[in-house]
Amino acid sequence: MPDTDKLPSKVYGWLDERLGLTEIVALAGHKRVPEHKHSFWYYWGGITLFFFIVMCFTGVLLLLYYRPGEEAYESVRMITYEIHFGWLIRSTHSWAANLMVASAFVHMFSTYFMKAYRKPREFLWWSGLGLLSLAMLFGFSGYLLPMDELAFFATKVGLAIPGTIPVVGPWISDLVRGGPEISAYTISRFFALHVVILPALFIPLLMFHLALVQKHGMSIPESEEAKPESERKSIPFFPNFAMKDLAMWLIALNVLALLAAVFPWSLGPAADPLKPAPADIHPEWYFMTSFQILKIFGAWFPGAVGEFLGLASFNLGVVLWAIVPLFDPTSKSGKWGVRATYFGMFMLAAILVTTIWGYAVLPATP
Amino acid sequence: MNYPVWDVPVIGSGLVIAIIAVIHILISHFAIGGGLFLAMTETKALREGRRDWLDRLRKHSKFFLVLTGVYGAMTGVGIWFSIGLANPEGTSTLIHNFVFAWAAEWVVFLVELSLAAAYYYTWGRIPDKTHEKIGWLYAFTSFLTLFIINGILTFKLTPGPEWLALAGTGREAEAFFQAFFNDGFWPSLGLRSLACVSLAGIWSLVFFSRIDRETDGEVKIQLIRWSAKWLLPAFLLMPFFFAWYLLMVPGEHRDLMTLGMSTIGSGAFTQVTRMALITLMTTATIGLVTYFLAWLNPRDFSFGHGVSLLFLALIATAGAEGTREMLRKPFVVSGYLYSNSNRLADVPRKNAEGYLARSPWNPDRGDRPTVRTGERMFQGQCLSCHTVDGYRSMRKLLHGRDGKAIGNILQMLHENAPDSPYRKFMPPLVGTPAEIEALRQYLDILVNGKLTSPIVDPSAKAVPDSVKVDTLAAPAIDTAKKDSAAPAVRDTSRSTAPAAKDSARI
Ligand code: HEC
Ligand code: HEM
Repeated sequence: MPDTDKLPSKVYGWLDERLGLTEIVALAGHKRVPEHKHSFWYYWGGITLFFFIVMCFTGVLLLLYYRPGEEAYESVRMITYEIHFGWLIRSTHSWAANLMVASAFVHMFSTYFMKAYRKPREFLWWSGLGLLSLAMLFGFSGYLLPMDELAFFATKVGLAIPGTIPVVGPWISDLVRGGPEISAYTISRFFALHVVILPALFIPLLMFHLALVQKHGMSIPESEEAKPESERKSIPFFPNFAMKDLAMWLIALNVLALLAAVFPWSLGPAADPLKPAPADIHPEWYFMTSFQILKIFGAWFPGAVGEFLGLASFNLGVVLWAIVPLFDPTSKSGKWGVRATYFGMFMLAAILVTTIWGYAVLPATP
Repeated sequence: MNYPVWDVPVIGSGLVIAIIAVIHILISHFAIGGGLFLAMTETKALREGRRDWLDRLRKHSKFFLVLTGVYGAMTGVGIWFSIGLANPEGTSTLIHNFVFAWAAEWVVFLVELSLAAAYYYTWGRIPDKTHEKIGWLYAFTSFLTLFIINGILTFKLTPGPEWLALAGTGREAEAFFQAFFNDGFWPSLGLRSLACVSLAGIWSLVFFSRIDRETDGEVKIQLIRWSAKWLLPAFLLMPFFFAWYLLMVPGEHRDLMTLGMSTIGSGAFTQVTRMALITLMTTATIGLVTYFLAWLNPRDFSFGHGVSLLFLALIATAGAEGTREMLRKPFVVSGYLYSNSNRLADVPRKNAEGYLARSPWNPDRGDRPTVRTGERMFQGQCLSCHTVDGYRSMRKLLHGRDGKAIGNILQMLHENAPDSPYRKFMPPLVGTPAEIEALRQYLDILVNGKLTSPIVDPSAKAVPDSVKVDTLAAPAIDTAKKDSAAPAVRDTSRSTAPAAKDSARI
């Protein structure tokens, strides 16, 4: 470590004595990240993390001007059209939300196909699923907050999905809505969810997730495991991998800034419950799969049966997806490993097909 | 309308120019900065006896020759073609004013290209000292090309009072030097020179990244570091020149930028600020990448890193040039010629006698204006910035407005009042009330599929409440049918015919 008595070194020394920085750096330097032809996928968790950090930062800034309740629309209008760079913060927040969910999906599928969910990383998989669900809830609750026309009707459609659950469904919908209709109460509840409850759940879960990564280190795909120890390459986490991670973050930041500047997030007309819903109303893209599955089953089996079957098949997929570490626990489970891969491809295809299908059958915007 | 209209569907003619121009700038600025780079590097190598550098430099100059001589020249001619097509009136104005400058530019350009070729082909065949001199001569002539074109480019935003006083008199050339060395000239020359030097650094980083780090590690480290240094001047001086440049931007144009800070006002013109932000962001990233990857880790600097830098530079350039272009809206030549080829001074005359009165493409030829006339109005006055369905789509921007609301917007555009929000980015709409009514009908049909509000007879004093089938729309249908032999610039009957039929139902 630096031994001159320049000011930065003095400060470092002062802090080191009290915080043990040198130990931490040594620890980080100890950790090694495998380097092979699939290494690219190791960055996606970090990219997701980056977008989450951006969300927190921009979210806090939005809080300075956002007012839940009756004034919600007016306050977002002000942010978008009046406050200096308000539009930039709002666009960045919204774009980062979408990019975060997207990169979480990429991260999930890449860890899936690299079979990183296997022993001993089962809890990484489960906590990851929890994080993704929370991230999607973040998106859903945030979407309503501006209370423009699109937000209003999309949320209405979105809340119809849990409403189809037998027995408890309607009760859940009413609970989050704060009544039978979407109103200022709904905004207050969604607001509480979005800025208090979800972060309070997300952050500890994220810490758990990251602690597990730290504990187990990065997994190695089967093709690498087959190689003898001497042929496997790896680089130290600090500073080498961390530098590359930062480079990725820089790219992510540029993509984000570009999107926010070129396609600023717009604000529709204020929600008017008395108006008919626009014909092409639909939820955010990451809910398209569930939306479309419900629609398909609804068309096949009219009425409550269709609703139930749609919900059941969707949930079956999710449950199978979640328990994959149980039926493909180790690399020695040859046959099940192959089946799990096929299952992953099926799920990926199912998500892509239903999403594209969902958008294709929307009535064209007039 | 004195010229045919170049209708590029979806992206619009302006964007075609922009795409060609950005590639051209990326290469031409390298041609300028690169000249200096080659000369300085050769001098340094000779003085410090670095023979291994010279070998690399020779290869670099081949890459340089091919890139600038072929692609630079090609895209340059491409710009000429596209601006001539997209904005003949503006191009003509520039040519008439700067004949001398352009003639000089082309002579210098020829000399520059010949020197570049001579520089490459004489490596090792003539004494070092002479070769070095050719390099410096090249650097000088290439800078001269920038010097000349910079006068013409900056003129458009800040033509200056001397020139404006003579504009339209036929004696404009008397103010040649005032127009050439206009207010924007020096700050812009500074900015562009800095960009040239940085681009020389970036292209050289790309080129030298391919030196094998295992076999030639030492040279690679030296050359990568040396190239990285070329980005330093820009980062130190850019803010200064940029501030100077902004100071020279006329106030009304600068307003666009402040507008964009506070709003995205859908439909308002705030892209300037956003473009500028992109440039800022990518420039900062270029700085970081260059420092961390090239300066600190020159051995590991890879071709991929170099290409990413180049890509970032592309975006930064696009943002900067876009900002410059948009700052000038709604003018091609500020205070003289609007983007849609209307001259400021002609507005009263055209309002009185008609926008199409003297145009060879006037479909009504003295009759009552029709929907076809409206389409011509649109092509002549709006198409330079809008498209029907793509970039700044008219359908999208007018979506949700009925005929009456469209009429109100057109009226605002026509009046062009000092407090009109559109004034900052759109030129006034010129023409007689009947022509404007024809445009209103055309837009109504375009956006709503049919006429959605009563036809207004501009010759009547009061606006009638009842629908008068007898007036404007009626000939519209007839003409649309029988006028197929009219000298249409582009056959648009396909798009309007069904719409015109719709209007018959009213
Ligand atoms: C100098 C370029 C230019 C010309 C010429 C031009 N416009 Fe525009 N117009 C713009 C820009 C820039 C915008 C802002 C677009 C945006 O924000 O996306 C705009 C926006 C509009 C809007 C939307 C305004 C709003 O408040 O929503 C309308 C309508 C429009 N233009 C109509 C026209 C018509 C009609 C013409 C022809 C008479 C025309 N424009 C000519 C540049 C131009
Ligand atoms: C939504 C927010 C999430 C964040 C911020 C996050 C963050 C991270 C980070 C930083 C890593 C280490 C680097 C890497 O492997 O990419 C990681 C690893 C991992 N994550 Fe996530 N993750 C999230 C969601 C998920 C999801 C949805 C899943 C899957 C269901 C998941 C499963 C895993 C697994 C299995 C690993 C270990 C990878 C390995 O060891 O190769 N994570 N996560």
